[in-house]
Amino acid sequence: MTAPAASPPTRSTAPLVISVKDLQVHFKVKTGVVHAVDGVSFDVRDGETLGLVGETGCGKTVTARSFLRLVKTPPGIYAGGRIDFWSGDARRSGAGPVDLLRVPDREMLAIRGDRIAMIFQDPAKALNPSMSIGDQVAEVLYQHRSDDLVDDQPEHVPRMLRRASRQLTTGPERLALRLPPWRKRASRLRRRGDELVAAALAETQIANPRKIMDRYPHELSGGMKQRVMIAQALACNPDLLIADEPTTALDVTVQARILELIADLQRRHGTSVLYISHDLSLVRQMCDRVAVMYAGRIVETGNTRTVFSDPLHPYTRGLMAAVPSASQKRGELLAIEGNVPELIDPPASCRFHTRCGFAVALCEQADPELLEIRHGHGVACLAYASAGKLGVPNAALPLVDGSTR
Amino acid sequence: MAVRVRRLADVAREVLRNPTTVAGLVIIVMLLAIAILAPVLTTPNVPDPYQMPRDWTMRDAPPGTPGHPLGTTSTGGDVFYGVLWGARTSLQLSVIVVSITVTVGVIVGSLAGFIGGRLDEILMRVVDVFLAIPELIFALAIAAVLGPSFNNIIFALSVVFWVKYARIIRGQIIHIKQNDYVDAARVTGDSKFSIYRKDVLPNSITPVMVQATMDMGGIVLTAATLSFIGLAEAGLAEWGVLVSDGQAGISAGKWWASTFPGMMVFLWALAFNLVGDGLRDVLDPRTERR
Amino acid sequence: MTTLSPETAGNAGSVAGSPVMTLRGVEKHFPIKEGALQRVVGQVRAVDSVSFDIRRGETLGLVGESGCGKTTLGRCVSGLTEPTAGGIYFRLSDEDRTTLDGVLAVAEEDRSPEQKQLLTRIDHGHRLDLLDASARRIYRRNCQVVFQDAFSSLNPRHLVKDIVGRPLRVYKEASGSDLTERVVSLLESVGMGRQHLYRYPHQFSGGQRQRISIARALALDPDFIVLDEPTSALDVSVQAQILNLLHDLQQQRGLTYLFISHDLGVVRLMSDRIAVMYLGRLVEHGTAEELFETPRHPYTQALLAANPDLSADPDVEMKGLEGTVPDPANPPQGCRFHTRCPVAVALCGWEVDDAVSWLSESATFPDTLTDVERRSDFDATLVFADEASARSVAATLSGPAVPTAMAAALETVSVEDRKVVIRFTSVDEVALEDLGLGHLTSCILYTVRK
Repeated sequence: MTAPAASPPTRSTAPLVISVKDLQVHFKVKTGVVHAVDGVSFDVRDGETLGLVGETGCGKTVTARSFLRLVKTPPGIYAGGRIDFWSGDARRSGAGPVDLLRVPDREMLAIRGDRIAMIFQDPAKALNPSMSIGDQVAEVLYQHRSDDLVDDQPEHVPRMLRRASRQLTTGPERLALRLPPWRKRASRLRRRGDELVAAALAETQIANPRKIMDRYPHELSGGMKQRVMIAQALACNPDLLIADEPTTALDVTVQARILELIADLQRRHGTSVLYISHDLSLVRQMCDRVAVMYAGRIVETGNTRTVFSDPLHPYTRGLMAAVPSASQKRGELLAIEGNVPELIDPPASCRFHTRCGFAVALCEQADPELLEIRHGHGVACLAYASAGKLGVPNAALPLVDGSTR
Repeated sequence: MAVRVRRLADVAREVLRNPTTVAGLVIIVMLLAIAILAPVLTTPNVPDPYQMPRDWTMRDAPPGTPGHPLGTTSTGGDVFYGVLWGARTSLQLSVIVVSITVTVGVIVGSLAGFIGGRLDEILMRVVDVFLAIPELIFALAIAAVLGPSFNNIIFALSVVFWVKYARIIRGQIIHIKQNDYVDAARVTGDSKFSIYRKDVLPNSITPVMVQATMDMGGIVLTAATLSFIGLAEAGLAEWGVLVSDGQAGISAGKWWASTFPGMMVFLWALAFNLVGDGLRDVLDPRTERR
Repeated sequence: MTTLSPETAGNAGSVAGSPVMTLRGVEKHFPIKEGALQRVVGQVRAVDSVSFDIRRGETLGLVGESGCGKTTLGRCVSGLTEPTAGGIYFRLSDEDRTTLDGVLAVAEEDRSPEQKQLLTRIDHGHRLDLLDASARRIYRRNCQVVFQDAFSSLNPRHLVKDIVGRPLRVYKEASGSDLTERVVSLLESVGMGRQHLYRYPHQFSGGQRQRISIARALALDPDFIVLDEPTSALDVSVQAQILNLLHDLQQQRGLTYLFISHDLGVVRLMSDRIAVMYLGRLVEHGTAEELFETPRHPYTQALLAANPDLSADPDVEMKGLEGTVPDPANPPQGCRFHTRCPVAVALCGWEVDDAVSWLSESATFPDTLTDVERRSDFDATLVFADEASARSVAATLSGPAVPTAMAAALETVSVEDRKVVIRFTSVDEVALEDLGLGHLTSCILYTVRK
């Protein structure tokens, strides 16, 4: 697994893959508008792993799903902001980014699963129970890599075969492909497809891919299903992999193997990863940089090592103190009292002030911005804000241990 | 308790939000009013008010004839009287049949679902036998064997319709039984029957209520079908009988004797279906807990 | 059957008092039914010969991965499921427990009439499935459960007052305004209050619901509470609140907990002693410190190595396990963990199934296997459709690719026509061994050393 230390210090100069700016995703409900994601900005650079960490309902999954426009509208509303995406080709040719919130549907279809792939929390639900493993992985290839399927054909590739490589053939065409003179070339196409599928499955250290290809999801264990999902996601060698709680449904011993696998594949392919989790210790193990989300906002972001060794935001600190670990005593966990606030039409205030031990009157009135305090380490807390800019006396700011005035 | 009343009010408000449900409710209220007011709006026939009064001198009178606002049938029966008292017949029929079938269905389904095991096997095989025969044909067979009488129709429908409820409630109970709150109640030491009464039944009953509402309409439709083909007493103030009386005249342009009672059957079935649909949306456990 | 000797069980957890619950050889098998006639075709061995004590005032942590039987065992202890075999005893005195262990150590047919009499007396006074009505009532009052899913453990149609007050009503302890006051004080003890009395469960967050669940469990002032993954569905910040609350309540009320969880961090924090389960069996059992500082069983070691810990050095990598958990309907012979064990040796229980599944994983395995004739779990004949495949399989099995431990256990591989005869050293199930100070483990490595 990549330790954060292994990441080169030049990482911040690596080209951008994703740049999210002021993303706002809202949901219309009976009683108002839920600001599920409310002004989130972050970057993912080439080859790095960014961890998006937070508790249930903080907006981390909605953020990730809006990358692929998977949030249902309505009730969802893309209320503002943009998600700029540079594909590998765009970077090489020097072309500009595309805004994922605004690209036409056709283009989005071409990006989904090809340039940006996603693995979901529950592999049992994400795989189609009535399709063999081989066919499911092949589907991605037929959709996005049809040229690879025909590139070993000996001579000019006729149109019908090309259509077959995209699974676009009609009934009569399919019949024709079963008869001479087409039969040979069609079966060559299928063999080629099987080869690519087997190779994709082998990438995920599935011992015997050819045998697995004929099986159905219910015949596989949870860990195995997650491997198949990863194979499917990485089959097209995407620029960005979104891993949404990929191991939450798995046992710890299996979890460790899957995370190892993801890290290893990332290292070999240079894929950027957006890793979403509620588990701080996993994020610390997996990610180069981390963004902590609370109630639709990013409250702290920075290098994993700095954030974990020197958390600035009271929420981050609280979260870390609440995790049971070997060094803690029974009954003395530092819980964050209270519950996550309602996000229906929230007022302009620090979202955390209701549960924050350091909150002062100002926290209810001013909305803290995400400010870069140190190199690459940003925090959205008034304790670190400048009193002058807010137009309040210094004494009105909250005082969090270690915050500088 | 105030909170419980408030909850009921919430459900009511939710129901009234849906325009089609409201439409259904309005029709039902009108039909009920007709059924209740029938003895006031018409002079009850003696000795049996559920028999159509016959005026052999006024056969096939068109609507608008004085004394016969909706016309008369080929046998001189007053269509207006038939339509009004038909609502009364239908109300009685549907209330009786639904009460009997829901009671029997819920008891059988609960025994099967809550106790389970061998008993479940036996009861469900019985249910399967009933379900293997189409409802209408089964009811028709029973009613035909017992002879033409409206009471026999009621009996036949009761025999046929309980099966559905048994099925629904059994499935619900098996599902609800798996909830941890049932185990939690067992851990407190509460008796089996009390757990059934407090935890299992109230959480399983809503689909039965929805189905029962819909069947209030469906049963009248089925009963009308049976009486249409002559399984009720001749001359009964019942819509199916009236439609049957009038159908011979339709080709001769005497449309009224069939059309008015036919419309009533249609309205009755439609109204209860609309309300049933609305109830399902509101009582659906997935939408209920918001 | 594994039975703890009285000494070892007595040593475990020196801080705690007499046992509240005593488990001896508890088994729970679920029949697998098939076909229209629901014929029983096999048994899922969810829990197999588990024995331990839960002592007054302590927290016993029960840890293991999904499907290891920990929840089933919890249901047996809380009286929700009856074990298929073995006994769960409630409030056994130390003296009776010693007697019981003495009698159980003798095989059933060799027991003297006096021993049988003793057993009957103990069984009827303490064994859950044989308790008389009044003893059962006492047990039922004193053993409560908090479930994992706070959404499904509260009846959505009942008010908080009815939910928390229900046990009081069942035992006719209170009614009217007295009941209300009792419920209020229960709610207050879990950090809630009077304002929550007349609300429905869906109006609360997950953490609050779990508090309501805990209040209900406390209503009858029980001795013992089974906590079945009480915080698994909660966020860490809320989990911390609940864990603190559970600890405070234990201190105030002298509660005994059986704490079931898959989360090692939580179990370590909350437990005095920990029992680790794998595939229905107890593999290790000891004090929390012992178990985490010096885990003995390879499975426990694997669990710890795979467990992410925020306080650990971030550069230490997590290590996972190969393979998957075997089918509990057909658990491996010997040590159930041997199929995935990184340090397995020849005596761990290698058997025919291991050979067949290892062969079928390999790419070269021919599809011509037609039958497996078993003489025992360790001795079978593989029948192939043709001679060539039989020969190639035999060659593979005696070749260098076979895992060393399996190869060492393989006594015979011989080919006759289309048949391959394989025989492994036959091995008994591994019993829990005491390593001293109440630390028990069921790994052959420690048995051999002794």
